[in-house]
Order: sequence, then C-alpha cells, then structure tokens
Amino acid sequence: MHIMEGFLPLQWCIIWWIVALPCILLGMYKLRKVLASDREALPLLGVTGGFIFILSSLKLPSVTGSSSHPTGTGLSIISFGPWITCVVCAIVLLFQALFLAHGGLSTLGANIVSMGIVGPIIGYAIYRLLRNTPVNIYITVFLVTAFADMFTYITTSLQLALAYPAETGGVASSFILFLGIFALTQIPLAIIEGFVLALVFKYIVALKPDILIRLNIFSKEKINAARNEAS
Amino acid sequence: MKFRYTLEVLTIIAIVAFSVILLYSGSNVNGEKFAGTDTAGSQGIAELSGTPLENFQPLIPQWKPPGTEIESCLFALQAAIGGIIVGVVFGFWIGSGKKA
Repeated sequence: MHIMEGFLPLQWCIIWWIVALPCILLGMYKLRKVLASDREALPLLGVTGGFIFILSSLKLPSVTGSSSHPTGTGLSIISFGPWITCVVCAIVLLFQALFLAHGGLSTLGANIVSMGIVGPIIGYAIYRLLRNTPVNIYITVFLVTAFADMFTYITTSLQLALAYPAETGGVASSFILFLGIFALTQIPLAIIEGFVLALVFKYIVALKPDILIRLNIFSKEKINAARNEAS
Repeated sequence: MKFRYTLEVLTIIAIVAFSVILLYSGSNVNGEKFAGTDTAGSQGIAELSGTPLENFQPLIPQWKPPGTEIESCLFALQAAIGGIIVGVVFGFWIGSGKKA
C-alpha cells in the first residue's frame, strides 16, 4: 500500500498530510492518557505494536502473481482504538520511508491515512459492533484484522484514483484499475493475517486476561468463556 | 475431551494452503515473479498519466538501499525489532504469571 515517493502530486501530498497530522496528535494525547492511567498497558502496547512491525515487514505472494504486505494492525485496533494505532503505524511507515525506500516522506501522510486511519477506523467500527454480541472473540479479531487490512488497500486505490483520474471514466475507472492491482492481491493476505492475529490474541487471553478486562476490551464473561474453551 | 487447538490448526491450514496454491500458480507481472503491488501500482500511475516511470522524481530526496540484499536485510531488521519486543513481553507475562 505504499505510495512511492514522487508518485503523488504535491497538492495531494499536502492534503493527506493535513488529514494525518491531527490524527497523530490525537493518538499521542490518548497514548499519554492510557499509559498514565495504567502502566500495565505498556507491555500490551508493545505486543500489539510489535506485530505491526513484524507483519508489515513481510512481503507475501498472492493470487495475482504479485506480492504485498499485511498490515498487522488488528490487535492494536481492538486493544487501543484507531488513534493510538495511527501513531504506531506512523512510526513503522517512517522507518520504511527512511530506510527501505518503501513510501516516502512526501507520501507519508497519504500512507498514514490508509494504513493508520481509514483501515483502523473501519476495523474499530466492526469491533464496536460485535463486542456486545454473542459472537466469539476470535471471530471478532479475525474480522477486524481482515477488514482493516482490506480497507487500507482500498483507501490506497482511492487515493491514487483521486490523484490520477482516467481520461475516459474519470476517478471511478481508475479506482477500479487500482483496486484490481491492490485489493485483489490483498484478499488472501487479509484472510491469513486474520487467522494469525486471532491466534496471537488467544495467547494474550491465556497469559494476561486481567489486562484485557481492565482496559474493558472485552467483557469478563466473554474472556472467561474463551479461556474455558481453550483449557 | 475437547480439542484445544482448533485455531492453531486452522491457521496452519490457511498458511499452507495459500502458500502452496500461490507459489504453484504464480504468474508473471512484467517478467518479475511476485513483484510488489507497490511496483505494479507505480506502473499503473505511469500508464494512466502517460508519463514514463523514470520521469517520476522524488519530491523529497530519498535514500535508497543499495541493492536488494541490503533491502531484505533492513526488512529483516524491522521484523526482528517487532519480534524482540513481542518475545520480551510474552516472556515477561509468563514469568510474572509463574511468580504469582
């Protein structure tokens, strides 16, 4: 989903930076608040952020004969919400822009919007929708992760379509073209990512259920039900 | 007895099934097998705008890893940073759980 340096016209770089910056600042504010109120949240932040580092570094092959990155944002979205996830994504994307030439400083804003804002907001909406229903927590994690991943790439397609409308058909037609490149490749990767993060969540539930209950991520009943299932 | 490892089995099946299917059905994208979608996206932009790929110059000068070996090294470094943090925290949780 990285838009390469130089491939986005200046005005779009500025627009996406203007969208991304307030979200990063809000995320930093929320992060301070969470960590000030509960220091035990720090290790959980480490694990969820660590998985964004790991998964977004992998390039996996996919059905279209091309390869792409998972995003790994699902656990962080569920545990800390979209704004704090945005801060972690900004750090990862900055690392990739500076050292890997994946994305660039001018397109960083656009990349933060797709991976750190739109994807996580969609994922968070799914989580809020399913949290108080009887749906199994692992299915919730799977769906949040898979949809956050898919919508990251759908957003990238839209960003490129807006900047490069086709001569015939305009934005809609180039949106379809970019969806064919990004979104199609991403479907199997989103499914695998959903399974992997659901599995990781199972281990967090087994090891540290109290922090999940204290941060009110899932209700005590649901966490206990999941623990009983696993033992 | 209830089966405890449903999720583990499903995850392994998903990974193995996809990697086998994908690696055997790999088609070509501009001669390079499993080229990144980022590259394909850039080519899409070049086609749409009618500007050759090499005409896209960075707006902000950018350091590029010299060669794919260095690039894969830095990608591994990124994964390692994540892996170390995850390992430390899981270890810490297991350790503090045992103490309690």
